[in-house]
Amino acid sequence: MLSFFDTWLPFIYLYVGGGIFFIFGLYLIRKTKALDMRLKHHRFWWKVLIFGYFYFMAIHAFLIIAALYL
Amino acid sequence: MEQLHNIGTQLDWIVLIIYMITMLLFGSYFAKYNKDTNDFFFGGRRFSWWLIAMSIVATGISSHSFVKYSAMGFKYGFSSSMSYMNDWFFVPLFMFGWLPIIIYSRIRSIPEYFEKRFSPFARFLVTILQLLYLIGYVGIGFLTMGKAIMPLMPEYFTILGFQIHVTLMGLIWATALITGVYITFGGQTAVIFTDLVQGTMLLIAGLLVFFLGISYVGGLDSFWGLLPTSWKLPFAGFNSPAEFNSVGTFWEDAIAGSVGFLFMNMGLIMRFMAAKNVHEGRKAAAANVLFMLPISAIVVGGAGWVAKAISIMNPNIIPPNINPDSVFVVVANILTGPGVFGFVVAAIAAALMSTVSTLVNAASAIYVNDVDRPIRIWLKKLRRSERLPEKKAMLVARVSTIILTLMGVFAVYAFVSYPTIYQAHAFFHATLTPPLMVAIFFGAFWKKFTPAGLITTVIGGISLMLLGNRFPYELIRPIAHGTPYDPVHPYTYMSALYNLIVCVSLAVLTTIFQKQLRKLSNKIIDSKSHFIMYPIIGFTALVFIIDVLVAVLKLETFSLEFLMCLTILASFFVALISTHYVKYDSERQIEGLTIWSIHKAKEIYKGRKVNERDGEKVRVHWKLIKDDNEDIVNFSKKDMNKMAAEVGDFVYLSDARKYLGGLKSVHSVYGEPHNEEGIVYIRKRHLEHGLFVEGKILEAEKEM
Repeated sequence: MLSFFDTWLPFIYLYVGGGIFFIFGLYLIRKTKALDMRLKHHRFWWKVLIFGYFYFMAIHAFLIIAALYL
Repeated sequence: MEQLHNIGTQLDWIVLIIYMITMLLFGSYFAKYNKDTNDFFFGGRRFSWWLIAMSIVATGISSHSFVKYSAMGFKYGFSSSMSYMNDWFFVPLFMFGWLPIIIYSRIRSIPEYFEKRFSPFARFLVTILQLLYLIGYVGIGFLTMGKAIMPLMPEYFTILGFQIHVTLMGLIWATALITGVYITFGGQTAVIFTDLVQGTMLLIAGLLVFFLGISYVGGLDSFWGLLPTSWKLPFAGFNSPAEFNSVGTFWEDAIAGSVGFLFMNMGLIMRFMAAKNVHEGRKAAAANVLFMLPISAIVVGGAGWVAKAISIMNPNIIPPNINPDSVFVVVANILTGPGVFGFVVAAIAAALMSTVSTLVNAASAIYVNDVDRPIRIWLKKLRRSERLPEKKAMLVARVSTIILTLMGVFAVYAFVSYPTIYQAHAFFHATLTPPLMVAIFFGAFWKKFTPAGLITTVIGGISLMLLGNRFPYELIRPIAHGTPYDPVHPYTYMSALYNLIVCVSLAVLTTIFQKQLRKLSNKIIDSKSHFIMYPIIGFTALVFIIDVLVAVLKLETFSLEFLMCLTILASFFVALISTHYVKYDSERQIEGLTIWSIHKAKEIYKGRKVNERDGEKVRVHWKLIKDDNEDIVNFSKKDMNKMAAEVGDFVYLSDARKYLGGLKSVHSVYGEPHNEEGIVYIRKRHLEHGLFVEGKILEAEKEM
């Protein structure tokens, strides 16, 4: 029988642990104006960056659900 | 574990040899684009994002991936994909921090950045770490190549009555010879273009094996039904087994490995430096991480997954005690016919060659810029402002390529004891990445980080890491998240966390106490007791040597507590010594070199104010101006308006045929406009460098 340790804990650890580094990165590029929201192509990249995080999270969540229930 | 031999047929060997020769010729063709070392190492900084992205695929997934992920896929299932799906966390800092910094600071190697940002000694330390990192990577590449080809080989050859046994190291030496020839003459342009073909072939080969495997076991439903639930999960168990677990992979791969790959891997950085501009580099990075890596996870792990399904369906077909590192080749042989199997193995072997070539090319770039050049300056054979004549520089580049290839083969001996390539690679990442990772991160993102911080991180950090290696049970176990202790290869993954903690702690403490260290240094200067520094240096060097000996020879002469106190004291002395001796201008040396001054970096790069107005691309015919050979191009006023360009702005001019990916292109500067709409005036230098074709339309865009 698979436990929480095998199924959802690695997922939570990855996205909380990795999320801390990710949010810190987003904060820093905004704070330093390396990503300048006044520029059109930078606004595009901002959306891509946030999309990327949830994109991988959704893929992993889907795969866990598929493994457990399909 | 059983070592297989003689897999494949004669036809497979013919296909393999033809493929390799074709790749060699293809790569050699692009040698004509190597006009100078800039072309040899950076491909002239002109390529489109898709070419760079494909090249990264060939480099990224070929190095060790087919062998190691098929092995892990066979042993543990879909969780072999973990390493390919955890790279996004550092992408913001890469795209908007490190990438623009390295492009706009016009550095030619990562160590060069450290001299500009910190000091020549910092460059020296980082050069050593970078070369170790790249040579180690080359070693892993060669080891993989040998393991991939080994099952195809007979147990021995008989030549002139002599029986020659085929050994792993013998195979590695042979492949190193071919790789050395390819990279020595081809250079970066050759690598990028052969990567385009090889990346495509790799994807085809990997997907072919995966889908043939699914068909072999009776379709997707049957495949899914055959695998146990634990095999379908995308993550390994949280903290067990010792050889493959999620928490270990998080610290070793998602953190240390991702940063190592994106920020420190000079081979990859050179790919991004070959992109025509920063924006194009960002596109390549995003496309690679978002799309190519998930596809690559299937491509490299798929053979292991279907091998497992086949072994459950019919255990006689795939031996249960098979060497995991042979799984890919074995399953490919079962699923494909004669000739096709040869193609699959050739695609992988050639791509492995490409990865190794990239890394050797990168190590060579570092050698030319960070070892050869400083030595010539030191010997007064070259002035700091001078450049080595191109012919001589190319010779140095090629000779160093040969030497570094040889060193890569010797590095294989360090990894050959690990049961799988995956573990060998994990050990390598966990050990070498943390000090460099902290150095790059704090250097680029923390403007208060000083040379003393960096030097203490590297020297003190390595000393503490050595203690962690010698006393893993005492030092790593408390932070190992419950992962089991393996006495032969203790905490292969979790050592990355320990190493990161000690390096970050030293970096932060040294930077926070910089004022106090400076005061202490000033006191030593004021009291004219400068001689006190000599015993301090001697003591520090002695402690470092003791730590190395204790770790390498596994000495039990000193207790952990004693060694820890000595090492912490020595780390403090390193901070004091570097504060005392290293000259550092905290205002000037951060300008344009940290994320806090990216705009300044752009201005320094351009040499004047940046024009950020959005403009259009224009298509033009070209006309050669023979009166002068200045680095300026002239457009009509109307075209300049369309591009929102002004005189003095930077322009990128390329052949309009998109499929060339920027191969025929140049960077230049806008000159005074003329009145001939749809025409650009270029000079001889642009024609020579861009290799533009008579009658072919060019596309122009303003860069900044």
